[in-house]
Amino acid sequence: MLNNAPDGAHFPVDAGRTDLIEEFRRSPKGPHGRELQMLLHRMRWESPGGRYVLVTIEPGRRWILGRLTGARGEPIELFRNKTYESPAAAEWDVFKLRWEALTGRTIGG
Amino acid sequence: MRLGGIDTTSVLGYASPYIVEPGGRISFHLSSATPREVDVALVRVRCGDPDPAGPGLKLLPVKSAIDGRHAVRHQPIRPGSCAIVADRGALRGLAGFSVGAFIWPTMPGAAAQTIISRWRDDSQAGWRLGLDADGHLELAVGDGKGAVAVARGERTVTRREWLFVHGAYDAASGALRVTQVSLDPQAGRDRSCVGRAIARVGIEWPDDTPLVIAARSAPDTTTHFDGKLDRPRLHRAPLTADAMRALCEAVNPPPGDPDLAGAWDFSIDIPGLSIHDRSANRLHGRLAQIPARGVTGANWDGTVNDWRSLPAHYGAIHFCSDDMVDCAWSPDFMLDVPTDLPGGYYALRMTAAPPDGDPVESYVGFFVRSPRGRTAAKLAIVAPVATYLAYANGALRMDQVHAESMLEGLIVLSRDDLYLQEHREVGLSTYDTHADGSGWRVSGARRPILNMRPRCNTFNYGNDTHLIDWLEEKGIAYDLVTDEDLHRDGLDALRPYRCVMTLSHPEYYSREMWDAIDAYQRSGGRHMYLGGNGFYWRIAFHRDLPGVIEVRRDVTGVRTWEGEAGEAHLAFTGESAGLWRSNGRPPQRLVGVGFDAQVFDRSAGYRRMPDGEDPRVAWMFEGIAAGEMIGDFGARNGGAAGLEIDRADPELGSPPDMLLVASADRIGYGGMPAPEEFRTFHRGLDGEQNSRVRADLVYFPTANGGGVFSTGSIAWVTALSHNHYDNNVSRLMGNVVRRFLDPAPLP
Repeated sequence: MLNNAPDGAHFPVDAGRTDLIEEFRRSPKGPHGRELQMLLHRMRWESPGGRYVLVTIEPGRRWILGRLTGARGEPIELFRNKTYESPAAAEWDVFKLRWEALTGRTIGG
Repeated sequence: MRLGGIDTTSVLGYASPYIVEPGGRISFHLSSATPREVDVALVRVRCGDPDPAGPGLKLLPVKSAIDGRHAVRHQPIRPGSCAIVADRGALRGLAGFSVGAFIWPTMPGAAAQTIISRWRDDSQAGWRLGLDADGHLELAVGDGKGAVAVARGERTVTRREWLFVHGAYDAASGALRVTQVSLDPQAGRDRSCVGRAIARVGIEWPDDTPLVIAARSAPDTTTHFDGKLDRPRLHRAPLTADAMRALCEAVNPPPGDPDLAGAWDFSIDIPGLSIHDRSANRLHGRLAQIPARGVTGANWDGTVNDWRSLPAHYGAIHFCSDDMVDCAWSPDFMLDVPTDLPGGYYALRMTAAPPDGDPVESYVGFFVRSPRGRTAAKLAIVAPVATYLAYANGALRMDQVHAESMLEGLIVLSRDDLYLQEHREVGLSTYDTHADGSGWRVSGARRPILNMRPRCNTFNYGNDTHLIDWLEEKGIAYDLVTDEDLHRDGLDALRPYRCVMTLSHPEYYSREMWDAIDAYQRSGGRHMYLGGNGFYWRIAFHRDLPGVIEVRRDVTGVRTWEGEAGEAHLAFTGESAGLWRSNGRPPQRLVGVGFDAQVFDRSAGYRRMPDGEDPRVAWMFEGIAAGEMIGDFGARNGGAAGLEIDRADPELGSPPDMLLVASADRIGYGGMPAPEEFRTFHRGLDGEQNSRVRADLVYFPTANGGGVFSTGSIAWVTALSHNHYDNNVSRLMGNVVRRFLDPAPLP
């Protein structure tokens, strides 16, 4: 036993902090300032909207967005219209999805 | 499925044995739902990692008699552990009976489960004690002519609580009864109750039906039990619950009692694969799919933590409906391994071009060990098969919610992971938890291992092949031995070699393996440890079954699950498990460095330290300038120091003669220390602020002119091919290999 709680992250998300969005957009792989680190932690601990994952189609070249259902044995949902040619592009896309799920606000671009 | 890439899972298989010596024979066991035919070729693996950031996939065809097209069929996998007692007169001759046991259910209410049975599904004949789909205890009896009677308790059982359970059938009256008694009946935990029904009188039991504990036979086993079972007993009379409980409480029930049909004691020969019956009938049985033994029973009170000290408190077995050690697939074809085939990593390549899916390119990995007593090289690499088995089919990133936080970035899955998510029957890794939440303690090679073959996820196998690629590129001859050779042959496996390399992540070590490496070093051997987080967990190989290991995780170490209290001793040997550091052997004493942190977001380079200027190691830095950063590049996050890293520490045994020649001590906030590295929590433990989160590059001489060189980083080998192999990691490695192969005593 000793499992991680899925709902353990509780850092409050401030929808007004568009500066954090910009910081992430500039550098999806970091390093990031402390507040952006905490926001990302909130997003990554148990991904809002379902646990997004990347699935490699061509190693090092092409990835597709997927989502885990959380149940063993259930297939990973694949978003065939969302493919990426760099992990950084996927990070930014997923950040936008999670920001919207957490704040109800969309990010353009 | 058509995704536009390579389909790596439509055909799967395993090799038996998975380690073979030239001149030996290997059988391939394959399965495929579709396609029905595959083209097969034998390949030698130079690099199994297709990532273009590294050397790229390099598989060298080896002509063999098995090359060509082969038909493949679908072979199912039947997971689930249980104990099977072959049919005997003592079982057929029962009229009425009582059956009882202590149980600790771990997934009541998930599905119907069987505690103990002698039952045929096809004719609905026999009897079975179990839990219904909602978690009520029930005893069913069937006469094989359509009449099935069921007595059911009115209260569901509680998860992870011990209960005494009892079922009785009176052949004279037809009375059927179940009783459950909670062993800790307070604070809302009491689920004690009785259930009754009337069945036909004088039911005759079927022939040719085994007694099965923790499942029923239909004829393949089904409705497996999840949880612990302790001291099951079978009696020829419909005893009261109190009388049956007394019989179950007794560790040594009266063996001369002619009505005692079976009294199984799981504390006898815990490392073995059989269960023993203490009754006069000697209804011994065999275990299927290796459930966990050496686990605390209903009578365990914390007096001891080692099952060898008081076996009577360890009379339970923890069964899991998803235990899987051996697929038992039929072989499809054999390969007689040529006597002149060089030792190395090999694979069976299976390709197909289905009309409705992506091209199939799947592999079965195996190892050709260099022949004993006939060495071809002075250098040997040690294939860390124990680590490959420990990680075999890891589903951690799918199952653990913290995985993305740990990796500091989106989880990147492969086609193998898509398959594993849907096909858990293939059996998971010792990092994973069973469906009931308990840790996977046993891993075996007689099943498809998706991440021990070319094109697999990069951790371990893929990374290690970067080193093989570098040896081939540099024309450095090597032999291959494996962990299992170290375990079973000891020092003899290493003695012929002047230099031995342990690879990027030799994490799982048995005592026999450790002793072999230690004795090799003391005999004047030269050891290059080219990884991180090595020599970490203590394991055992099974005494009778090749390619089967056991891991028990204790209360420290980077652990994805934690064992139950009192269960930190290996069932295979009785040895204390957990970390080698907790067993009085910190890795620093063996190789100068030991695990200190994980860093998955970015990798770093090494700075030269003052010891690196010492004239005793000038040979190591030939062709490298004094102030040059070493390995500030690499295929894994841009550096040679990353993923999992080790540091030196005299307090933990780093030797006084050791030279700390370089250190990657600017790791950043992604560097998270291992839990055994700090006693109390405080701010600033991460690699941005904590100098103990670092990778150390060390060298020290050993007895009889030997020496040890350690890099303390998993990412090290993935930097070797940078800039077409022209870089200072490659140069430093070349300097060390040349000097270590030179017979002159090391300085």
